Amino acid sequence: MSEGVLPTSCAVAVSVKDLWKRYGSTAAVAGATFDVPAGQIFGLLGPNGAGKTTTLECILGLRQADGGTILVNGLDIRTHAAQAKRLVGAQLQAAALQDKITPRQALDLFGSFYVESFASDVLLARFGLEAKADAPFATLSGGLRQRLFLALALVNRPALLVLDEPTSSLDPQTRRTLRSLIRDLRSDGRTVLLSTHDLQEAHDLCDQIAILDSGRIVAGGSPAELIGRSQSSSRVIVRTDPCLDLAILNALPGVASAARDGHAWTLETRAPVTVLAALVRCIDDAGARLLEVQVREPSLEDVFIELTGRPWCAEEPPGDLS
Amino acid sequence: MTVPPNVNGWTRHLLLSLALNFANPQAIVYGYLVPVFFLVAFGSLFRADSPPLQAHMGQILTITILGGACFGLPTALVSEREQGVWQRYRLLPLPVGWLIIGTMIARLGLLTSAALMQIALARAVYGTPLPTQPAIAVPAFLFVAAAFLGLGMLIAALADTVPAVQALGQCIFLPMIIIGGVGVPLAALPNWAQHLAGFMPGRYAVEVLQPCFDGHNGLRGAGFRLAALGVIGIAAGISAIRLFRWEPGARIGRPARLWVAAALAAWILVGVVAWQTGRLKPVLPEPPAWADITEAQIAEIKFEMLPGDHDLVAPIAAPNLSPTVDPAFAAKLRAWPQGKLADSGQSIRNLVDVAAVADLCADPRESEIARLVLRQITGSFEPAVARQALAWIILSPEDGQALTKAPELGLFRHPPERLVRQRSVVYAEKYLGRMLGKLPD
Repeated sequence: MSEGVLPTSCAVAVSVKDLWKRYGSTAAVAGATFDVPAGQIFGLLGPNGAGKTTTLECILGLRQADGGTILVNGLDIRTHAAQAKRLVGAQLQAAALQDKITPRQALDLFGSFYVESFASDVLLARFGLEAKADAPFATLSGGLRQRLFLALALVNRPALLVLDEPTSSLDPQTRRTLRSLIRDLRSDGRTVLLSTHDLQEAHDLCDQIAILDSGRIVAGGSPAELIGRSQSSSRVIVRTDPCLDLAILNALPGVASAARDGHAWTLETRAPVTVLAALVRCIDDAGARLLEVQVREPSLEDVFIELTGRPWCAEEPPGDLS
Repeated sequence: MTVPPNVNGWTRHLLLSLALNFANPQAIVYGYLVPVFFLVAFGSLFRADSPPLQAHMGQILTITILGGACFGLPTALVSEREQGVWQRYRLLPLPVGWLIIGTMIARLGLLTSAALMQIALARAVYGTPLPTQPAIAVPAFLFVAAAFLGLGMLIAALADTVPAVQALGQCIFLPMIIIGGVGVPLAALPNWAQHLAGFMPGRYAVEVLQPCFDGHNGLRGAGFRLAALGVIGIAAGISAIRLFRWEPGARIGRPARLWVAAALAAWILVGVVAWQTGRLKPVLPEPPAWADITEAQIAEIKFEMLPGDHDLVAPIAAPNLSPTVDPAFAAKLRAWPQGKLADSGQSIRNLVDVAAVADLCADPRESEIARLVLRQITGSFEPAVARQALAWIILSPEDGQALTKAPELGLFRHPPERLVRQRSVVYAEKYLGRMLGKLPD
């Protein structure tokens, strides 16, 4: 099939409907449904073992789904696998390269399979790999390897990039750099579908999130929307000298409850601004000195706990299938 | 002309496979150094053959192909699979099977280079003749390589890790080397081992490759051997395809392991058919070269220009020995093990070498020792055998082993082997001339 007939733009980059994937009697993905809007960074968020990698591998055609449909830019991957592959670039969690291959050789090799591809020099410069362009893969640091994998994902100028845990196991500095590079990909007009178990990363990086738990999508939306829909309260944490009385704090407008934690008070509220204003007046009236005050908004972790009834656990559970 | 991207990528992958192979020390060891080690080992044993090593080139090339196909190929494939490289290739818009085919073609190129290197080294170091039938060498090589590459693919499919490749590879390599007619020549194996070798592809590989060096009939009569290699290679290849895994850490299910039985069934099938059709008759050891010497050849030998018996070169004492020789020496010579080997021709050569070494080292007893050697030869061997062996030394001076010292007989110095062989020819002529009555004693 000629590449000219391929759809090159679509409002929905990836559409997943009722996706099922079983391993024996265990369902790794159980009816997952979500759409990835074009031109955005979409995060599949879930603890390890939630089915993120399996979902991505089904989208990439590396695993055959047991049920459901997957469309990439409107192309059904079961019937148009080769065409869909030309539109997608991917970074896999468990895929490395040969020890002796150099970044330049790898980019030249993978680029040579496509009609349109970036020159290796362009990608080496963009991802800061020029100094190690001719170094064997085995000698690259974890951060440089991840940069190379991102460059490889981009080599065929894809409309959609699928990144599986792109920043896991990296130091904070490298993680920040890679997040910046991923944002740049969105700025190019590309769609990025990534998986992560890092709540902060999902919050900071993604335009849209689908929360995956035990193979099911339990919520979806922008980080702000998800948190906004949360029933959780904000928390105002305050420490004064001398310590304020419980009765005074409970009487403040907007405070749902107050609890003492060492020398500090934690006030649960759905109106943190009102509580802060009242708290300042209260401290003045009591002649106390304000030592510390913090406001903690509800987080994605709170959203997850609300939705699943379980605490967020990023560690790998036994019998992980993702 | 624009090259289609898949063709461009496929070609680049093939070339990169070759480049990465040469960057991998393990691949160099198994692909080139181990085969050279075997060449040197064979060379040290058979360099005195005439022509040197020619009768063993089929074995040497089989070992070369076996090492590259059953260790080199699966080591590279399993290593790349466990690193996730093949999983990454699956994202490409080209069916990954094409890349596997490219990898096998690259490996075929490496096997070819290793085989050519062995032929060139044997030629340069030992003077082994080049193949007499290069036209049949190509199809013979391709059949052998295809069969062993199929086995290599099966090992790659079965092995979970690179160390497992080594273990599985040895399970195939060692039996073929030891009792499969590849390392130890078939004729040197006991009957039961010769029959067992009929169930292994190594025997057929050697029998297909060897005629390229010393045959005259092309591949005529090699149909069964080629078919055996084809059946074993195809069965292994199909099993490998059924068992192949792309993902790192993926395991083979129990039912799939039946494909291993299918691959082994091909070996059994080949062996049974060979047995039933009478192709596993015992292979007898090659008669020693001296035994081929005919009376006509002996009659053509001229005994001219020989030095006198009292000259400096190759002296022989008169038949009535003076007492200068310790009587114990004669007893030692009679009991000397090197003069009483099962191979009469080599025993006589060893005795003649004793006379030559004594002469070259200017031993004070040189002429008496030469006389004692003559007595030993005429007294201990059938005249016909002695005539054949002495003529063999004269006509094929480079054949057989040459002794350059005999410390058991008090001859400790060791002159160069080349000189010993030359001087032995002179003594052999003097002895044979006397036995035939053509020289006075």
